[in-house]
Amino acid sequence: MFGARIKRSEDPRLVTGNGRYLDDLGHDALEVAFVRSPHAHARILEIDVTDALDVDGLVAIYTYDDLDARMTEPLPLLIPHPTLTHGRTQHALAIAEVNYVGEAIVMVVARNRYIAEDAAHRIAVDYEILPAVVGIDVARTAEHLVHDDVPGNVAAFMVQETGDADAAIDMAPHSLQLDLAIERSASMPMEGKGVLARWDNDDQSLMVHTSTQTSTSVRQAIAAKLSLPVDRVEVVTPDVGGGFGVKIVHPWPEEVLVPWAAIRLGRQVKWTEDRREHFISSAHERGQLHQVRVGYDDDGRLLGLSVKFWHDNGAYTPYGLIVPIITSTQLLGPYKPGVYRVEFTSLYTNTVIVTPYRGAGRPQGCFVMERTLDAIAADLGLDRTVVRERNFIQPDEMPYDQGLIFQDGRPLVYDSGDFPASLAKLKKLVDWDGFEAYRAQAHADGRTVGIGMACYVEGTGVGPYEGGHIRVETDGSVVVSTGLTSQGQGHQTMLAQIVADELGVSFDRIKVTTGDTRRFKYAVGTFASRTAVMSGSAVAMTARKVREKALRIAAQALEASVDDLEIVDGHVQVKGAPSSQIDLGAVAVLSNPLRYAFDTAAQRATQFASPADPNQPPVSAGESPGLEATDFYSPMRSTFANGMHAVIVETDPLTADIKILRYCVVHDCGNIINPMIVEGQIHGGVAQGVGGALYERMEYDTNGQLLNASYMDFLMPYASEVPIVEIDHLETPSPLNPLGVKGAGEAGVIPGSAAIASAIEDAEGIAIHRMPISPSELFHLRLASRATGLSNQKDTE
Amino acid sequence: MKVSGTSHLSADRDAVWRALNDPAVLVRTIPGCRRLEALGVDSYKMTIAAGVGSIKGVYDGQVRLTEQEEPGSFRMHAQGAGAPGTIGADVLVTLAAAADGGTELTFAADATVGGMIGGVGQRMLTGVSKKMAAEFFANVDTVLAEPAGGNVAGRHTDGSPEQPEGMTSSGATWVAPDAVPTRNINGFAMGVAVGAAAALAGALVGGWLASRRRN
Amino acid sequence: MEAEALVHVEFTVNGRPHELEIPARRLLSDTLRHDLRLTGTHVGCEHGVCGACTVLLDGDPVRSCLVFAVTMQGADITTVEGCCTPGGGMGPVQQAFQDCHALQCGFCTPGFITTITGYLEENADPTAEEAREAIAGNLCRCTGYQNIVAAVQRAAQLKQAQLKARDAT
Repeated sequence: MFGARIKRSEDPRLVTGNGRYLDDLGHDALEVAFVRSPHAHARILEIDVTDALDVDGLVAIYTYDDLDARMTEPLPLLIPHPTLTHGRTQHALAIAEVNYVGEAIVMVVARNRYIAEDAAHRIAVDYEILPAVVGIDVARTAEHLVHDDVPGNVAAFMVQETGDADAAIDMAPHSLQLDLAIERSASMPMEGKGVLARWDNDDQSLMVHTSTQTSTSVRQAIAAKLSLPVDRVEVVTPDVGGGFGVKIVHPWPEEVLVPWAAIRLGRQVKWTEDRREHFISSAHERGQLHQVRVGYDDDGRLLGLSVKFWHDNGAYTPYGLIVPIITSTQLLGPYKPGVYRVEFTSLYTNTVIVTPYRGAGRPQGCFVMERTLDAIAADLGLDRTVVRERNFIQPDEMPYDQGLIFQDGRPLVYDSGDFPASLAKLKKLVDWDGFEAYRAQAHADGRTVGIGMACYVEGTGVGPYEGGHIRVETDGSVVVSTGLTSQGQGHQTMLAQIVADELGVSFDRIKVTTGDTRRFKYAVGTFASRTAVMSGSAVAMTARKVREKALRIAAQALEASVDDLEIVDGHVQVKGAPSSQIDLGAVAVLSNPLRYAFDTAAQRATQFASPADPNQPPVSAGESPGLEATDFYSPMRSTFANGMHAVIVETDPLTADIKILRYCVVHDCGNIINPMIVEGQIHGGVAQGVGGALYERMEYDTNGQLLNASYMDFLMPYASEVPIVEIDHLETPSPLNPLGVKGAGEAGVIPGSAAIASAIEDAEGIAIHRMPISPSELFHLRLASRATGLSNQKDTE
Repeated sequence: MKVSGTSHLSADRDAVWRALNDPAVLVRTIPGCRRLEALGVDSYKMTIAAGVGSIKGVYDGQVRLTEQEEPGSFRMHAQGAGAPGTIGADVLVTLAAAADGGTELTFAADATVGGMIGGVGQRMLTGVSKKMAAEFFANVDTVLAEPAGGNVAGRHTDGSPEQPEGMTSSGATWVAPDAVPTRNINGFAMGVAVGAAAALAGALVGGWLASRRRN
Repeated sequence: MEAEALVHVEFTVNGRPHELEIPARRLLSDTLRHDLRLTGTHVGCEHGVCGACTVLLDGDPVRSCLVFAVTMQGADITTVEGCCTPGGGMGPVQQAFQDCHALQCGFCTPGFITTITGYLEENADPTAEEAREAIAGNLCRCTGYQNIVAAVQRAAQLKQAQLKARDAT
């Protein structure tokens, strides 16, 4: 099954309307609405709930004053870093100050959401409005501060370098300087966040369902904040309608407040956010400003690269510096940068927090590097792919150490990849060399077209670990679990494919559970394109253990040698003599020596059923009952996938409308378990890349009001905006894990803005240094360019 | 939980003082009060039907009046329990003569709320308490405004309270009539704060009658 | 404050009649999901843009998040659950979605399935371009739409095969 386009086992349930997403659960629960700050920066003077008290069906109203014990502390700062000298996180409910529109102040519990909102609307909060800090320029000028105790609005300042890059650039025959910008967008899964909690007073235990990417971590966080023993808290991830990174942040205020209220009220309590809430109180990403200095030789080879950037981290830093660290390191792509220096300043603004969104900082880094290489090509009059080729790390240079520390705290070492081969495939797929002829023909027809390309490298499968547990039941069915979660990636199908192969059982007899702390307690989570690598490897290793035990037990039962046995379709049989066999269910029975038979199959394992060796205990030392095993995979380092995209665009000479004519992808994620699922991931990622290049931006005004907090005004691509994606694969297996796989989840989105900018620039002859770009922006760039005869900036050194 | 507030009543201080110490008045004016029984001097048992938001119940409680300095101030201690929760409260009530001949009443309460209704949040509890207190005082004002010898039980024309027939220092019981002319009980949903200790003579444990009960 | 006044309304969902007493402001999406426990219809934005809440009203797709349930007197509503076979198995559109890997998280999927079910009644044999346009009013964040477009045409295929098989008997 490895490598096969197996149809998903998740689908029949989901397409028939039998999914169980968070809001489908807890029909009898009380429901929650929040009073959220309407101001980007304000002091809370007074909260008057008098008018809300009349609302029929109101149950409770909570503010910070009602919180107790550890609930009064700020929410955790998940990933500390030495350079994050001024990390700040919010409280579950605001105390005295709010720092973004949307920050939760009052929690209302009522019989249903309609009533909760009625009550919430009647709660009057008195504010003293403070100056709002919005945008990188305002933040770094620091005329006003977001947090009084954070000078300059600087959360962190970090430098990584491999030598004296400025000197290398100064000494280089050519150099360039570029200013580049990418604007904020957001994950925007179709399902928002939601939490359902129930305290079982008889059992003294808490059950929480939450639409999360990491149930095991949410569990720890809830237990800590509610001062409960961890083993009295279970967190189950239901079906999740997309995550794309936003649901990795935890605990959201609601994730601790809803269980807290459930305990206090002795009732099941549920909160599901509406779309506006998601816009103003979840998380955004992508907003950065970059300044690049690069030195290169006559052939376009990089000699020195110095990047300074400013990262807008929003009002708080619960996820630490992961996004800008990823930008810093993944910016290098598949290239040798010469001497590299990267410096970033992470700034507070009075806006929604910034945490990873698919790509997690890589799109920005890719945009910077690819625009820089395009600028070099333009300066030297070289083909853009030739400049890439000349700077590629070569396959025989693998593993290649870039000399930096990656987001997993480990050295940035690329393990494998064949960049020249990937590029060759891409050029063939898009017919790069034939484009000029195509352009000439289009020009003759009065059409303006352009071609662009971009390359990226993606560190996937970050640690620290994931685990797997497999048990063969006495009826021969196989139960598999892993602790991380699923948001539509087909994990159940992919992992079942692995187990089917490793264990020799039929796909249909395998049931996989993800994200349920009752079934698997040690896990990290789903993010950074890591599931196939981490859980895939762990599950494979676990299956091998189960197989080994099954063969050992079967060998005894069949009186054969382990080496003579194979498992085919759930039967352990002697190779070449398949009639001598025992099915795995029977092996499972034998693996668990019983006193009491609970059914006829179990009778085989009871103490009088077969002759026992009186000199051995029924369960040998070091053995456990049952045909099951647990194992963990913990990687030395991330494993590096790569890809290259090429785009052909057409721009309208009059309206500057931008249309994508072709979108080609060459993708290398090592060995592929299910090509259909991988391609689906690429399609989805490309759609988000197109969205980020042409449509999506968060429009904040100077007062910190999010002007486009709805789907009407925040433009996400429909089917009419997303091109057909043509895909070719390369597979350079990973040497780092037993399956040779690399992650594929984020790949599609990473080079979108870079490739499309490259194509538009090629079509128009105008420098595109800012994304996203809309037709009216292109229109104005055209006017400006004609007026001043601008071309790419060049440092005349 | 601390709750305090003021209320202006039209009646003069002496009349207000007597009303607040008159169980026949209390049973009619304490929101939700169904039954009041004297246990001894200045000590009562009472039953109150109340709800806090959607949590409704019947509460049994005891109230004791102390430190009485007629007509200026007194202290009330209340304890009550019902299915949804418990309350204990200590309330100081002060009466001052108002410039218009009426009374400025000030109450300051210190209360502890437990059980399910204790979980609804401080602002909701204090908010409902204040509403209850306001309603109570308004009821008292309404009752005092009735023509003398009218509905006020046992009131002599010179204003001194008349002992109801058969009243002894303990065991006498007053039951709330079905309809009480009050100013503010109309569509109020009365989110109830059981235990929202808003002050008051004899009241408190329980509090408001949800408007539904009257419908 | 008074409890909300309730309005009596009767309508059919997936062939079954229902009688309800609900507040006038209750959205059809909430009534389907929480009063009738038909949670297949999903709410993605509640302002009529994403289409996840799409149901068929007398055969035509509508955004159930923009409809007050009390206005549905006498209506005949079909939800994604009503697109199954009588035994609760996958109907042709649903089967096409699995065949073409046209869903990932599945949250937007019910809205597409009802939309396409309604569409194929009008155009039984769409071209790829027509198929893409037919679904261009529904948002999906996972799939990039390519496989959904393929699913429209596959569904048309499966439906036609079903009809042929039925006619042959």
